[in-house]
Amino acid sequence: MSKFLIGCLISLMFILESIFLELLPANVYDKNWIVVPYFLFITILFFSIYGSRNVGIIYGFVFGLLFDIVYTEILGIYFFAFPFIIYICNKIMKAFHQNVFVVSVVSLLGITALEIIVYEIIKVIHLTTMDFSSFLYLRLIPTLLLNLIFIVIVAYPYKRYFEKYAQTMRDNF
Amino acid sequence: MPQFFMNKRLIVLLVSIIILVALIGFSLSDRKKLSWPEQFVKDTTGLVQTLISRPAHYVVGFVDNVRDLKNTYEENKELKAKLEENAQLKYQVQVLEKDNKELQKTLDEKASLSEFNLMKATIIRRNPSQWNELVTINRGENDGVKKNMAVITYAGLIGKIKSVAPNTATIQLLSSEDPTNRISAYIEAKKDEKDNKKKTDVFGIIADYDKESKQLIMTWEEVPNGLKVKKGQLVITSGKGGVFPKGLAIGTVQKVEPDENGLQKKVYIEPAADLYDIEHVMVVEREAITLDEEQQ
Repeated sequence: MSKFLIGCLISLMFILESIFLELLPANVYDKNWIVVPYFLFITILFFSIYGSRNVGIIYGFVFGLLFDIVYTEILGIYFFAFPFIIYICNKIMKAFHQNVFVVSVVSLLGITALEIIVYEIIKVIHLTTMDFSSFLYLRLIPTLLLNLIFIVIVAYPYKRYFEKYAQTMRDNF
Repeated sequence: MPQFFMNKRLIVLLVSIIILVALIGFSLSDRKKLSWPEQFVKDTTGLVQTLISRPAHYVVGFVDNVRDLKNTYEENKELKAKLEENAQLKYQVQVLEKDNKELQKTLDEKASLSEFNLMKATIIRRNPSQWNELVTINRGENDGVKKNMAVITYAGLIGKIKSVAPNTATIQLLSSEDPTNRISAYIEAKKDEKDNKKKTDVFGIIADYDKESKQLIMTWEEVPNGLKVKKGQLVITSGKGGVFPKGLAIGTVQKVEPDENGLQKKVYIEPAADLYDIEHVMVVEREAITLDEEQQ
């Protein structure tokens, strides 16, 4: 049951990213900013840290591929980047205590790495002509601000929910 | 032993990079159709997203409607005034259309570049990563949508169909910086007030989008024949690329600059349609000009 609910939660985040962009009134922020919601990535990352790492990486693969097919139409970028960054973040977390604050900072770092990797790939295949400094100011910083707000809202509920999930999984074995 | 594990990880990384490059290459190649797994995934997710996004839109729309109620009285007044104008325009259009048909008959022209049908559609999702500006509509191959059709809102052109699945289709907006996204367009010449002579239109190709100023860039080879482009002139599709029909509004000229080489001019165009707040769109079905017709 719990596994099913987590699948539902992640799918909901997948859809929510698109709905959020459609409904976001353009006049609440500077028109030149590009804000990218990473709700899906944050959810999978928290799950991989507090729940189960390997299942989290599999979710990264599956939803990365879905993201590529459904949204970006360039196969491979998020399919590769999601699991890779989730793996690296889990490696980093081994060195720290699993504090909500530390996990939040690490997930912001993860989003930064994800944005930069995707930017470099997009740049290589000539889908953008944006230079790095405007990428930094127009896209990366607003994106980090938006996702920081999201993390502040969900971090604690996610921690409790996923830890409970990990506990029930351990009890079953 | 640890050496072995390091190697395993390295191999996994290398293999996944190879897969990444292969997949990107595959999706960037000029595909006519999506593969069936992609079509299936797009349609099923489209169905789920319609189910969830429609109620969300209604809730937000309700809040907006309540806010709109405040200005209703003034808007109503303005609209009534416009309605009267409209009736007049309608009459004029009828007369002009009739004239046009008669004139075309005398010219013996069978199909014009500007004839098209409209199909209404609703946006069901938008690409969150926003590198490639893509939105998806709830109409697909089964409704007659085909690749490369133009898509407009009531204000003007917003993009073209990039890929089609049976029940959904994906639109590439004008704001995506894809180098293959080119539109053949012209800048409508204004009548000179002094000698009342109509000047020739300026033709060019819109091939670029400036993400920082949110304006389209049209390159135009300036030849010394006295043609000038000024701020505020209308830009319209020319129908010559074979993709879009003639006469769809694109935007207005904002500024003109020489490009880096100094050979061409860059014309910055403010899009007429809002590319951010889109909900309902229309797909333009160009009236087919088949080879048979042309030969006859």
